[in-house]
Amino acid sequence: MAAEGSTRGGGGGGRKTSSPGMPGESGAAKFLSSLPSRGNFSSTSVSSSLGRLRVYVCEHDTDPPEGQVIKTDTTNILIRHLQLKKKEMDAKEAKDAKDAGSRNQGETVKWKRVAPRSLDGQSSSKRPNLSSSSGLSAAEEATSGFSGQTLQSFTVERLRALLRQRGLMTKGKKDELIARLRESQD
Amino acid sequence: MSVWNYVVTAHKPTSVTHSCVGNFTGPNQLNLIVAKCTRIEIHLLTPQGLQPMIDVPIYGRIATLELFRPHNETQDFLFIATERYKFCVLQWDGEKSELLTRAMGDVSDRIGRPTDNGQIGIIDPDCRLIGLHLYDGLFKVIPFDNKGQLKEAFNIRLEELQVLDIKFLYGCVKPTIVVLYQDNKDARHVKTYEVALKDKDFVEGPWSQNNLDNGAGLLIPVPAPLGGVIIIGEETIVYCNANATFRAIPIKQSIIRAYGRVDPDGSRYLLGDNTGILHLLVLTHERERVTGLKIECLGETSIASSISYLDNGVVYVGSRFGDSQLVKLNLQADTNGSYVEVLERYVNLGPIVDFCVVDLDRQGQGQVVTCSGAFKDGSLRVVRNGIGINEQASVELQGIKGLWSLKSSFNDPYDMYLVVSFISETRFLAMNMEDELEETEIEGFDAQTQTLFCQNAISDLLIQVTANSVRLVSCTSRELVDQWNAPEGFSVNVASANASQVLLATGGGHLVYLEIRDSKLVEVKHIQLEHEISCVDLNPIGENRQYSSLAAVGMWTDISVRILSLPDLELIRKENLGGEIVPRSVLLCTLEGVSYLLCALGDGHLFSFLLNASTGELTDRKKVSLGTQPISLRTFSSKGTTHVFASSDRPTVIYSSNKKLLYSNVNLKEVNHMCPFNTAAIPDSLAIAKEGELSIGTIDDIQKLHIRTIPLNEQARRICHQEQSRTLAFCSFKHNQTSIEESETHFVRLLDHQTFEFLSIYQLDQYEHGCSIISCSFSDDNNVYYCVGTAYVLPEENEPTKGRILVFAVEDGRLQLIVEKETKGAVYSLNAFNGKLLAAINQKIQLYKWMLREDGSHELQSECGHHGHILALYTQTRGDFIVVGDLMKSISLLVYKHEESAIEELARDYNANWMSAVEMLDDDIYIGAENNYNLFTVRKNSDAATDEERGRLEVVGEYHLGEFVNRLRHGSLVMRLPDSEMGQIPTVIFGTINGVIGIIASLPHDQYVFFEKLQSTLVKFIKGVGNLSHEQWRSFHNDKKTSEARNFLDGDLIESFLDLSRSKMEEVSKGMGVPVEELSKRVEELTRLH
Repeated sequence: MAAEGSTRGGGGGGRKTSSPGMPGESGAAKFLSSLPSRGNFSSTSVSSSLGRLRVYVCEHDTDPPEGQVIKTDTTNILIRHLQLKKKEMDAKEAKDAKDAGSRNQGETVKWKRVAPRSLDGQSSSKRPNLSSSSGLSAAEEATSGFSGQTLQSFTVERLRALLRQRGLMTKGKKDELIARLRESQD
Repeated sequence: MSVWNYVVTAHKPTSVTHSCVGNFTGPNQLNLIVAKCTRIEIHLLTPQGLQPMIDVPIYGRIATLELFRPHNETQDFLFIATERYKFCVLQWDGEKSELLTRAMGDVSDRIGRPTDNGQIGIIDPDCRLIGLHLYDGLFKVIPFDNKGQLKEAFNIRLEELQVLDIKFLYGCVKPTIVVLYQDNKDARHVKTYEVALKDKDFVEGPWSQNNLDNGAGLLIPVPAPLGGVIIIGEETIVYCNANATFRAIPIKQSIIRAYGRVDPDGSRYLLGDNTGILHLLVLTHERERVTGLKIECLGETSIASSISYLDNGVVYVGSRFGDSQLVKLNLQADTNGSYVEVLERYVNLGPIVDFCVVDLDRQGQGQVVTCSGAFKDGSLRVVRNGIGINEQASVELQGIKGLWSLKSSFNDPYDMYLVVSFISETRFLAMNMEDELEETEIEGFDAQTQTLFCQNAISDLLIQVTANSVRLVSCTSRELVDQWNAPEGFSVNVASANASQVLLATGGGHLVYLEIRDSKLVEVKHIQLEHEISCVDLNPIGENRQYSSLAAVGMWTDISVRILSLPDLELIRKENLGGEIVPRSVLLCTLEGVSYLLCALGDGHLFSFLLNASTGELTDRKKVSLGTQPISLRTFSSKGTTHVFASSDRPTVIYSSNKKLLYSNVNLKEVNHMCPFNTAAIPDSLAIAKEGELSIGTIDDIQKLHIRTIPLNEQARRICHQEQSRTLAFCSFKHNQTSIEESETHFVRLLDHQTFEFLSIYQLDQYEHGCSIISCSFSDDNNVYYCVGTAYVLPEENEPTKGRILVFAVEDGRLQLIVEKETKGAVYSLNAFNGKLLAAINQKIQLYKWMLREDGSHELQSECGHHGHILALYTQTRGDFIVVGDLMKSISLLVYKHEESAIEELARDYNANWMSAVEMLDDDIYIGAENNYNLFTVRKNSDAATDEERGRLEVVGEYHLGEFVNRLRHGSLVMRLPDSEMGQIPTVIFGTINGVIGIIASLPHDQYVFFEKLQSTLVKFIKGVGNLSHEQWRSFHNDKKTSEARNFLDGDLIESFLDLSRSKMEEVSKGMGVPVEELSKRVEELTRLH
């Protein structure tokens, strides 16, 4: 159905332009005027037997053109997401390293774009970690501290990364990691 | 029967699941494409109507069907996704008339929970991507690149788990989907997402709408410039869009599942609801702003599953529950207030819930009576192989030796006279003004002798050939114009004539050829052949319909058929037929533009040859057996097409389909003579001389299976036949819908098995459902009864805990309740068993005795039972053995021990198959159908060494049928010819939800091996459309496992050998190392199984 919009009306004929429903016509009649017509079924006697269906026997080759055997990207959605983020982040870091001056401007833009998503992420139970973590920029992490709650919502991986950034020990349980981070923030 | 089974479709699926309209076969051709589960049909829209084009088998159950137009293309492509997660994109190659595969692939995921609400497949209106919702919580995207090629697919997580519908919105800068879903509090909402192709993720969309109608189930995207979406609920219809426009309209409560867009701009839609009412939904708008919604009822159609607006007010209504229809929307309502006029109905047998095989003539040819359709479209369908003659008039006449029809003038389109020849006289019947046949006279004809041939000739003349003479009579004056007399001492034995030529044989091999020139009979040629002549024919097959340049002559003694040239009677070709049986009738004919020589022998065999009309060359000799008595051949026409009627003890119509000769038997016992009798009163009728009777009848459409519909307006669920009382009984129910509540009333109904007249009705209690019905008799009682098993389905119970067994006798055409017995559950199945009654009641198998009470009445007394099933749904018995098909525990085998009066389990299949039908092929092999559309066979291991092995039913055959089988029953749709090898092959008939009637035939091992080799060869030559794999399609597949098909052959594939081009046939033949003729013959034999 989806493609019909682009195909309809191309086949010649055009719509009949008959007058809209006459006054006094009841019910559906006034809406049934000027039904689209392109010249089919126009014969006065629409015949019921215009031949038979021929059974199609596929004697020819049916291989699709090269590269058109479609497969699904088997990477796990989460992993793919992280990879994409990482790529983005790497690109960003490379860029950051290059021109640190324009950093602030770039970040505010980014912050704006992801803000609604991070909100959504918190309200939904499905992917809070993912959304909120991805919603924060690296710069934000580096410059300002986190509330205990935010830290709690981070993965251990991420906490370790933050610790590493601050040159702290990355070993221990999650609670210990958080405590260490908070200490360093204080 | 055996473990080597051959599965073939006798009646293709007819229930329509999808339909769409677009320019598929050419930029200027508008097509209707209809999906019928495993097949798609392509039709062309023409000014005269819907012209069928092709019927394409698909190796999969079609889950979605969409037409789309990639950028820079002039015609639409077809996207098909199958339920087993394969997809393909097809393009029509107009030059070669081939379906090209543009892309294909597998869209399955290793993990993921299949959606409950069916698979969704949608295509972005701007052709940027294909979206698929196949597993809960996942949305699969197949992106297009800028050249219109497909790229690697990826999944996106979709938060909404209970998705009801997804559609693409029109006119969005980024591809945007709108999702209708249900949250965990059962409230329904819509939400939009933009698909970010680069990030492979969703971006929250421009708008959402919460708390919709609780029954909202369908989204209709509105094309730009209006845009937005219509949400169809059960009580309201809502329009909303990105600009926060919100319009709603209340509707009468109904479930709308099908829609069709009328206008390209999306201002009108047709909606079909669950009661078969067609509505028109109008989006009123000012410029690009939607101002309101209006809904109007147009009239009634079949319950629609798909609606496609075609053109000029004509709409295709596809249905799964009743016949699909072609309807016209009229501007004015008819007297019933309906704007819908049904132009055509396309028969649909689906869903076949149950059927029985009735052999009325006791010739071994069953006719199948199905419980078809659902809700108001419920019906019984009588499916019969062969062509029916509907007798219009008949008269008792003994000793008819020949029949011919004559027109009152040469150019009259209709026949006027019927010439009936007897041993020593000829009588003439004519249609009078009251359209009655009355005896008349044709003065110039010799009425005192037997007529050998009659024919209208040019210049308004009539020809009569008798033993002594050939007479030429004027049509107008009815007087003799000219006469040719047989030479002294000779008499004419056989003769034939056409409009200008007469060929006759006198004794001693003399062949005389006459022509009519200037209303005179001129003897042109006379030759003497070496043997006596048994039959002649000079039916014109060339361009000239009045003059033949070829004659066919059958000979005694050397048993040959010869083609002679006319007018010089020179031998062109002689074909020895072999054997000792004389040819009794020859016929030259042209069917579908192909010329044939048919030659029928005195023992009911028929030879057919392809005839080259210019050179007289004979090729492609084939022999079939049509009966056991001499055959006489005649052409006739029906609906403008020529066919051949072979009169014999098993009258047959020979017709051509796809340029192949097909044979279809006629529902008459024995026909001696036949001639077409096309009168104004009864066009296309036939005059038929039977033993002691002359009748005039009309002929059904020429096709293989014939279906008669008995509309019920309620749904039949179980049916059985009782030969003794000449009745059919069935359980049915009617859906009553009032404004407040829905209820069902269940009945047992009785019908005459020949006339299908309703005889009697028995209404069941409130909440009581009829679950099973059989006809049976009991030991020590000569009467035959109908036994009905019921269940009380109470709204508050999960599983019925109460039911009844009702025993009825048919007395004077009435159902008389004799005995009733209460049960502790639903009586899912009943079987006559050793003069007792075996019932499957919930988890239990229970045996009842038929006891005579002191007062002379009877009662059912429980004898013994067997526990241990989840739900014993299907039972079959053979001797003392009982096979049980369980809800989810596959097949088990029980045995009844007479001495101990106990039922014990012998063996079971330990697989967890959810059964839908079982049948015992023979003592040791049982077949089952399960709910993943598979068939499998199991074998009893009675010779195994250990108890453990003996207790296990070994799975010996597996096959993916792709159809949900509701019933398996022994029987045959075709007459069993005792002399053919195929006549000995036992068959089982099955009926499915999509209206398929199929045959499972147990082949002897050598045949199986042969056809298995043929199948594996054919797979290399006949590709799956869209490059779908046959092997994967037929592999047994359920949630737990997928394994290659074994011990089952795909008859549909094997029989398509006959549709191959000659060159391909030769390639196959080379691959097999078997000559083409031999292959064709063996495959044709298989086609005679159905």
